[in-house]
Amino acid sequence: MDFGPYLFVASLEGAITAAVLALTAVGLSIVFGIMRVVNVAHGEFFMLGAVIAWWITSLIAGHPALGFTVALVAAPIIVGVIAVVCNRLVLHKIDYEPERTIVATIGLLYVIQQTTLMTFGPEARPVEAPFNQRIALPWFEFGESGFALTWPWGLSTTTYKLAVIVAAIVILLILWLVMTRTKIGLIMRATQLDQEMAQAHGIAVGRVYALVFGLGAALAALGAVLVVPIQQAHYLMGGDPLLLSFIVVIIGGLGSVLGTVVAAILIGMSDGIISVFFTPTLAKILATLLVAFVLIFKPDGLFGKRRE
Amino acid sequence: MLHVNKIEVAYDRVQVLFGLSLSVNRGEILCLLGRNGAGKTTTLKSIMGLLPLQQGAITLDDEAISGLPAHDRPARGIAYVPQGRRLFSELSVRQNMEVGLMASGAGRETQEYALSLFPRLRERLKQRAETLSGGEQQMLAMARAICTRPEVILLDEPTEGLQPSMTSLIRDVIVEMKGNGVAVVLVEQHVDAVLSVADRVTFVEHGVDAETVDVSVLKEQPEMVKQYLGV
Repeated sequence: MDFGPYLFVASLEGAITAAVLALTAVGLSIVFGIMRVVNVAHGEFFMLGAVIAWWITSLIAGHPALGFTVALVAAPIIVGVIAVVCNRLVLHKIDYEPERTIVATIGLLYVIQQTTLMTFGPEARPVEAPFNQRIALPWFEFGESGFALTWPWGLSTTTYKLAVIVAAIVILLILWLVMTRTKIGLIMRATQLDQEMAQAHGIAVGRVYALVFGLGAALAALGAVLVVPIQQAHYLMGGDPLLLSFIVVIIGGLGSVLGTVVAAILIGMSDGIISVFFTPTLAKILATLLVAFVLIFKPDGLFGKRRE
Repeated sequence: MLHVNKIEVAYDRVQVLFGLSLSVNRGEILCLLGRNGAGKTTTLKSIMGLLPLQQGAITLDDEAISGLPAHDRPARGIAYVPQGRRLFSELSVRQNMEVGLMASGAGRETQEYALSLFPRLRERLKQRAETLSGGEQQMLAMARAICTRPEVILLDEPTEGLQPSMTSLIRDVIVEMKGNGVAVVLVEQHVDAVLSVADRVTFVEHGVDAETVDVSVLKEQPEMVKQYLGV
């Protein structure tokens, strides 16, 4: 395949990474932005979403779309509830004190990971996509007779991969509408801006924190359910999403949802493209280097605001 | 109405209030005067529930509210306008007021009432709070508190850093709230402002209420101000 079509395929792969990463990283970002909690266990909520999706689909017989649809709804809810319980049992008890929450969520990471290992085992678990037609993609070439539409061999994707990208965009749009147009969004933003004044105006900050922690985990789980027909579920799969989410959140600006989405597109696309042309390891190395540059030259991230 | 009875409050291990008491009735303005660090702001924060009591009690209409979390107090009719305004900076004027409305469950008529007190805010409804001038920000902080339909309002230096015309507007609104039966606890540095609006004055010194007098007494004995404030 020529370079152009090859880059196009790589970009599509990158777009899938970006879509899933955006969902996962936005979850991490709102948790930090509103609660000031650096949730090191965020990748494990991603992993739980994938494993629970496999579990649900393995229970439901019939067309794969049926089990997948149930998993798409149920897995994020289950993971959200687990996160709310973790919040109540762990973070609430240590009063959301920043340094202690880092240590506590490291502990949560291992508890969730090892519990999953003991419950579901070490095997990678496949989930069948609800639909997966391969579609050939056209390419334009400028030849002797002008522009011509060609169908290069190997230039193709699947309907499911395209659906993942569309689904992520729709979910992020819904989240944006919730945050900017609804009463609960207003409550979350007020809490983010001044927790003490939010309390003084009748906002039960503890309940907002529970909701936000659950929502953040559910977003990670949602990303995982979408990607699990492409990646397979495994108890160690939370590491990469956690690393990439942190990279994205730091580059985008801690707590900035818009910055997180922009950075997810940047990192996701470059990760996909570099992984296809070179190796996934090189992609991670370059992303980590980029974080180092951002931390040196723009420590608040591309869209972050300096906090007082 | 509101009774604060021998409260003791600390920030971590540093105790600030050592048995402070005060009371304020409906339609009354009680002013807290004292040097910096005397415990005036701490008193307001404690009444709002933002700092836990170590000792003492706070009652509202003879009902103990000391154990209530801060977020339940606006629904009981307590509102707080903090020093430095502390608006939700990235939210619009309208959204800041909506946060106040949510606390009381009040409808648009309450927002309209607040806007009638501060007509300039009506022109700025879609503007982000952080882009307002200092005076407008103070108006919004007051309007946000009024949207909670308070029975008791705690005002921490509401005229600090404002130009005279703005100071006069804020003062008029405080007097109007008093006329509507609201109990006002006002922390103020400007003695002239205190003399013009307050009914009673409590001098706060080293975390206790040193003396409470009618404002008429203070007018007759201005040396009291020097005694407690050193000015």
